[in-house]
This record gives sequence, structure tokens and C-alpha cells, in this order.
Amino acid sequence: MGRVARALVWHEFVERTRDRWVLVISVLFALLASAVSLYGRAADSETAQLTGPSLVTLASLFVPLVAMVLGHDAIVGERERNTLGLLLSLPVSRVEVVLAKVLGRALALVLAVLLGLGTAALLSDPAGAAALRRLAGPTLLLGLAFLSIGMFISTCTRRQAAAASAVVIVWFGLVFFFDLGLLGMLVVSDGAVPQQVVAALVVANPAGLYRVGMMQVFAGPDLLGDLGMTASLPGPAWVAAIWAAWLVLPGLASGLILGKAKAP
Amino acid sequence: MRSLAARGVSVRFGKLPVLDDVSIELDAGTSMMLAGPNGAGKSTLLKALLGLVRPDAGTFEVDGRPVSIDNRWKERIGYLPEAVAFSENLTGRAQLGFFARARAVPREHAEAVLERVGLAAAQRRAVRGYSRGMRQRLGLAIAILTKPELLVLDEPTAGLDQEGLAVLWSVLEEWRREGRMVLVSTHDLALMERRVDEMCILQRGRVVASGTAHDLRREARLPHRVWFEVDEDDEARLAVFCEAMTKWGKGRVERRAGWVAVDVSPDAILELIEIQRGFPGTVRSLRVEEPTLDIVYDKLLGVA
Repeated sequence: MGRVARALVWHEFVERTRDRWVLVISVLFALLASAVSLYGRAADSETAQLTGPSLVTLASLFVPLVAMVLGHDAIVGERERNTLGLLLSLPVSRVEVVLAKVLGRALALVLAVLLGLGTAALLSDPAGAAALRRLAGPTLLLGLAFLSIGMFISTCTRRQAAAASAVVIVWFGLVFFFDLGLLGMLVVSDGAVPQQVVAALVVANPAGLYRVGMMQVFAGPDLLGDLGMTASLPGPAWVAAIWAAWLVLPGLASGLILGKAKAP
Repeated sequence: MRSLAARGVSVRFGKLPVLDDVSIELDAGTSMMLAGPNGAGKSTLLKALLGLVRPDAGTFEVDGRPVSIDNRWKERIGYLPEAVAFSENLTGRAQLGFFARARAVPREHAEAVLERVGLAAAQRRAVRGYSRGMRQRLGLAIAILTKPELLVLDEPTAGLDQEGLAVLWSVLEEWRREGRMVLVSTHDLALMERRVDEMCILQRGRVVASGTAHDLRREARLPHRVWFEVDEDDEARLAVFCEAMTKWGKGRVERRAGWVAVDVSPDAILELIEIQRGFPGTVRSLRVEEPTLDIVYDKLLGVA
């Protein structure tokens, strides 16, 4: 990575940490995570066991949102401010620009997630803090996958407002409606859809993969069996491959689209 | 860099030709203004030179040799985009700081450049509080940060106040004096006329006319207005003077308070001056008024 790209990584990190939307969502996440931790600490032992799953639900809502907000204006924002040309007039390749933007924003995301979970961990009892530690890695993966999606949206749109709308649609689609859609499919088909297909669809969505993975951590590996399903989730290699695909492919597509564009 | 040339540059967006076989040349220590209506291809030509738009045909040459638009080339250029806005979350100092780090420019030099463009006092304010002119000045600071061999300015006068314009003029003068080049796209013909050496007028992606302001005026073949300051006390002699001008038949004569104006082709001005020599008491002084560049531009583009 060259001098310009390195400077851009830091510039993006600093610039994103000053974005008011990123700050608002991050602070809200930290507050709610802290509230869950404090509640778990004060509750009886049975309720306290729900701290981890509650934090999973919270993170699966907030982290994709903050990640896509971080990524959505990376390219289209520069385009709209007429600074994309200025940036690309520097001695740096277009792919390096995308990479530097992803890295700079990823640093901001890591900071936001770790601050949220870290604050909650400080306020939690030892069991809660342990749950939060187990959450940190997968939650960062979840955020980075959605950051990659946000970057892709940013590269494909011509207006920042369109990118913001796309973020909201994707967020609702993958975080809220995806599972509802699967349930609807099962109800409408009266169970005709094979369970393997349902399980595959659940983990094909990064939010679903995160939720199922973390629920297995907190509820045990027989989670699907407990839910009445006989199909098993994909093995670690598949899980790693799915995460890698979500982390890399949207960002890679952004780099290719910008790199090949006749007039970015 | 002693010379820069674009040779036969063509750019199409889909089926739409934006630049069609455009060629320009620029020598060291000179500046060129690209003018033309919206959509003429001015910005596209600048962007092609910067590697921001990939031409379908044509080459760029430096000192007579084709140059590839790569990172080494970009090191030699400073660029001010049109209506540049910048991220509102950062201060002017932070914005410039990024470009200084990216271009390996020492911090002290970057601060001196901010001082030069008149943003020293506002450098710690977030850009969201900057006016359009202040953002333009910040863009100019970024463009001149490395004292590049070639300065590419897209609509640099937009939003600038008199103080900002003075900074811009001093930059243009410095680049000329030190043998570097400037390429400017603008709609402000009157403002830029005296600040550039060459002009190139584009229309629908083609070069309509190019050369010095004098060359363009000659090509437009518009009449010049010769103003004679006259003595109105001797009305009879003044009437004879006006009649002589009218009989001469090569110009349209118009009388104003204290003045007689004659619109003539540039080729006939010397002849007209010879005629007025016959009226030493009547004519006190004369002044030749060239058509403004805006009028020349309209004529060359066929819009007036």
C-alpha cells in the first residue's frame, strides 16, 4: 500500500469518527448494551443467562446499521462533493482508493463496536463480561461484512440520498424481513421446503449466520434440534467461506466497478 | 516539462460523443483557457488529462513524446475540481493535512499555503462553516500544494471574492513567471482574458477556435469601435467631420455627447485614423475599443 493510500486510511478513520450519524448509532448501541449488561447483573441467575442472547439480538440490529452508514457514502459522497476526482488525481490507483476507504472505515467500525461492547463489559458481572468477549470477534465480522455491502452500495449509486435509501432497504431486508420471509415461506409451503434449504438460506444471510452462530454459542450446538429441525448447519469450513464471501466479494466488486469505470 | 499536447483526443459516453478529435498545445510558462458552453467537453478534456476519464482515442504528449497517465504523471499535476465541496466533518487544516501527507509535503509548507490563500484564520473551523469561496480557496491550496508543473483548474473563479481572485491571479502569474503551465476551464471570459496566454473554444466536443485573444478577435471578424473625442463648439466643422466619415462608407457612424463613434473592421482602422488627421481642431483624442471576448465567443459559437 503506497503513501497516498496509507494517508487515506487515516483520513477516512478520522473523518468517519466525526460523522454525527455514526456517533449517534454507536452511542445508542453502547447505551443499550450497557443497559442489558446492568440488567443481567441485577437479575436472578436464570434471567442473567439471557444477557448473551439479548446482546446478540442488539448487536445484530445495530452493528449492520452502523457499518452500512459508515460505508454508504465512501464513494458516492466523494462523487457528490466533487472530491472523487481530486482524490483520484493523486498518485494512487482506484482499487487502492477503495481498499484504503474500506480499511479506514473498518478501523472506525472496530472502534465503535469495541467501545459499545467494552462499555457493556465494564458494567457487567464476570459471566456477562465473558459472554461479551465471545461476542466481540463474530460481531466485528458481522460489521465488516455489512461495511463491505455499504461500500458496494456506495460505488453503485450516483446520489448519496439513493445510497442512504438503499442502506435502509438492505438493512430492513437482511436484518428484519429475511427471517420473516423464511417463516412465511415455510407457512405458505406447509413445510414442503426441505429443512436443508431453510438452514442454507438462514446462514446465507450474514445477519442470520451471526445470529445462529452466536445462539449456538450461548444455547449449545443442538440449537436447531431444539427448534424441531433435523437439518444441520454447515460446518466450520462452510461458515468461514460464507463469512469470507460477504467480507470480500462486495468490496471486491466495488474495486472492480470503480477500477473499470470510464468516468468514475 | 517544456510542452504539453493533446492529440486527437476523443471520448464517448455510450453513443454520445463528448470529445471529438480534440488537439491542444501548451508551452512552458504559458496558460490556456478552455471555454465553451455547458457540455462542450471542457471538464472532460481536463479529466482525461488527469486520468479520471479514459479516452477512446488520442494521446497526450509531453515534450513531443507520448505520456502514460500513471502515478508518476499525476505527481506532476495539481487539480482544482469544479465546485469542490469537501467533507463537512473535518477542518480546513485537516483536509489540507491529508493531501499534504499524501503528497509528502511538510506540514510547515502546507500551513504556509493556507496562509497564502487566506485561510489561516479559519483553518481550525469545520468545513461545514466555510462559504463557497472559502471552499474554493481550500481547493486552490490543495492544487498548488506541491507547486506542480501543470496546474489544472476547473472553474477556478466560481464563488471567489476580490481577495480570492487576487490570490488566484498571483498564482497564475507565479506559474507563468516560473515556467510552469496552467490549463483553466471557465465561463468567466472577461475575468480570465488578461490572465491567460492562449484560449481554446470548444463546442459539442470539438475545437471551434484557438489562439491568443487577438487571434480569436481576428477570426471572429467583428467590427471595432473607434471613439473620437470631438470639439462640439464648432458645430459646422463637426458636421463636416461626420459627413466625411459617413461618405467614407466603411463604417457605421454614431454621434454621442462629446464623442463620435465609428464601427469599422479592424483592417480599416488605420485608414480611418488617416482621415481624421484632416480635422486637427475637431478631433481631440481617439480610442479604439475592441469587441469584448464575450461577443467574440458568441460570434465564434454562432449564438449571436
